[in-house]
Amino acid sequence: MSTIVQDRFAEAKARFQTLFEAGESQLNGHRDHPLHQFRRRAIHFLEGVNFPTRRDEEWKYTSVNRILQPEYTANEAPRLSQADIEPFLIPGLDCHLLVFVNGVFQENLSQTGDFSDGLSVIDIASALSDEKYQASTTAYLEGLLESQSDAFKILNAAFAHHGLLIHAGKKAIVEKPAYLLHLAAPGEKASFNNHMNLIIAEPSSELSVIEGLFELPGAEGTYFNNHLNRIHIRENAHIHHYRLQREGKEGFLVSNVDIEQDGNSTFSSYALDLGGRLVRNNLKTKLNGSGTNTNYWGAYFAKGEQHIDNHTFIDHAVPHCISNELYKGIVTDKASGVFNGKVLVRKDAQKTNAFQQNNNLVLSDKASMDTKPELEIFADDVRCSHGATIGQLDESAVFYLRSRGLPDAQARGMLQHAFLYEAIENMKLEEVRLFAEQLVHHKFEE
Amino acid sequence: MLIIKNLKVAVEEKEILRGINLEVKPGEVHAIMGPNGSGKSTLANVLAGREDYEVTDGAIQYQGHDLLEMEVDERAQAGIFLAFQYPVEIPGVSTATFLKSTVNAVRKAQGKEELNAVQMLKLMRDKIKMVGMDERLLQRSLNEGFSGGEKKRSEMLQMALLEPKLGILDETDSGLDIDALRIVAEAVNQLRSPDRSFIIVTHYQRLLDYIVPDFVHVLYNGRIVKSGDKNLALQLEDKGYDWIKEEVDSLTAM
Repeated sequence: MSTIVQDRFAEAKARFQTLFEAGESQLNGHRDHPLHQFRRRAIHFLEGVNFPTRRDEEWKYTSVNRILQPEYTANEAPRLSQADIEPFLIPGLDCHLLVFVNGVFQENLSQTGDFSDGLSVIDIASALSDEKYQASTTAYLEGLLESQSDAFKILNAAFAHHGLLIHAGKKAIVEKPAYLLHLAAPGEKASFNNHMNLIIAEPSSELSVIEGLFELPGAEGTYFNNHLNRIHIRENAHIHHYRLQREGKEGFLVSNVDIEQDGNSTFSSYALDLGGRLVRNNLKTKLNGSGTNTNYWGAYFAKGEQHIDNHTFIDHAVPHCISNELYKGIVTDKASGVFNGKVLVRKDAQKTNAFQQNNNLVLSDKASMDTKPELEIFADDVRCSHGATIGQLDESAVFYLRSRGLPDAQARGMLQHAFLYEAIENMKLEEVRLFAEQLVHHKFEE
Repeated sequence: MLIIKNLKVAVEEKEILRGINLEVKPGEVHAIMGPNGSGKSTLANVLAGREDYEVTDGAIQYQGHDLLEMEVDERAQAGIFLAFQYPVEIPGVSTATFLKSTVNAVRKAQGKEELNAVQMLKLMRDKIKMVGMDERLLQRSLNEGFSGGEKKRSEMLQMALLEPKLGILDETDSGLDIDALRIVAEAVNQLRSPDRSFIIVTHYQRLLDYIVPDFVHVLYNGRIVKSGDKNLALQLEDKGYDWIKEEVDSLTAM
């Protein structure tokens, strides 16, 4: 028996395989490394996995065609100096800095190792041969191939050379956040950049990870950032994950963040999406134990022909957990936005508190926004609420501001700013919040 | 300062103002009273430039300019200030940021130098004291969650900061307790000067015990049907509006 399934992205897949082989031929002595073995398995795994099409419910409003068409190169990066990265550093923030350009780790600009505050940042290749981390790292990587049929995650597993293990030891209160700066420097040929983080917070630890994704100025071109985070928050631990992106005009971004929370843990996600031609973010949390808190804050602003798609998911599998989600966005010009927020409250998840809110401003006739709150509740003793709005600026507020002498454009800008601010103000690290506000400010001035 | 001639205004094709004539000279305080629905707030809002109102006839001259040709923000920059009956709550815009922006926007439009942070702070402190506002309100979102009294104080603070040439109070006193009322009155009295005028729209005479007007006008059915001095307000306080309504209605019936 044979089934013939036409794979419309067969050519794209073949190109990725060729690209993989080309990279492999340059590996020389590293072919036997366990990470490379894993990556080989991943590229084979890709053969049996389909890229999503708009017939897939999850991808109804976002087509990946545009992402899969270019012929990419991978792992080529210009060497940068301290001055090049200066504009992307967060003023006043004392952090462990890790710099990547086109997915390639920049050792001269970064700090790795076991830090005194209980934080370890090491590359996955090293983690696989380190007695302390080998087992957990292997387990995470294997999990990626076993349970995932997502083509972008598989691609990431195959192509990410310089993935990181970010580890907070038991009871480590890590005061200094890790700041991962991902810079895109597209050349003449479109570049395909992959990065993977495995973030583990051991019991009762606390950690902040900030990720900044930017295009280097003057380097406008096509590129595809395929980004993956797998986060495991153990019992009573706390992770704050910031993702601020201002990708380039021709940049594509697919970001997958998969979180697992054990009992009494907290996860807070702060996302700011300002750039990119086509952006798709998947944020998924699975709750393993009771007493957890999960916060999703997101702000996005799309103009020109940008398309920004946020898909979020919280799986309430156990009782007594709280989730809280606020996403706010502005779309204007010919831009489009998508928000899909799924909250699943399983039968056993009694006493769940789940709140979700998505508010949008659509500022032009040609802009569009699709929002879909998706609550599936199978438990009967829960408090859940959701709300989604799509609207324009409140004209009575515009009038109020103008009646105090503010010109029309300034009044509108102030209100748009304020609208997004509600989803930014919760950023716990003040330096990051101010930096985020600054990014929003620049976006308004574009 | 302000000359209103035969002003007719409609909202959604319903005529609200049916020919208003009014002249306000520099330094004068005019009170506009009248029963509910007489068009008092409409007049105040038309002066500030709200677009929901359609001016169907008449003219308004402000300092020699055609006011109806001016944009909302231009009017504010030219010194017109409307204290709203229901100030809008604006979440996410801090009161402090808003106040600084407006002061400098108006200064800039008037060709004055913008204030720096230190100068601004001093100005704010002075004026906050004047209206007896809690300084902590500055850090909160504009008007959001403010009590009725706090909102009115915030309006008075804005007026004190912007130092308008023509201040219009749209039922600023409605719903205020006596303490808040005194603060509003005091703010106006402190700002009274030979080159600054006020139009005070109110339903109640009580405010006029504290702000003594030069003229009192009664608005009814979209027209000024009676004008007088402060004694007219006292008369209204005594007898209500019915006698005026009857007088006018009998005249129109004839």
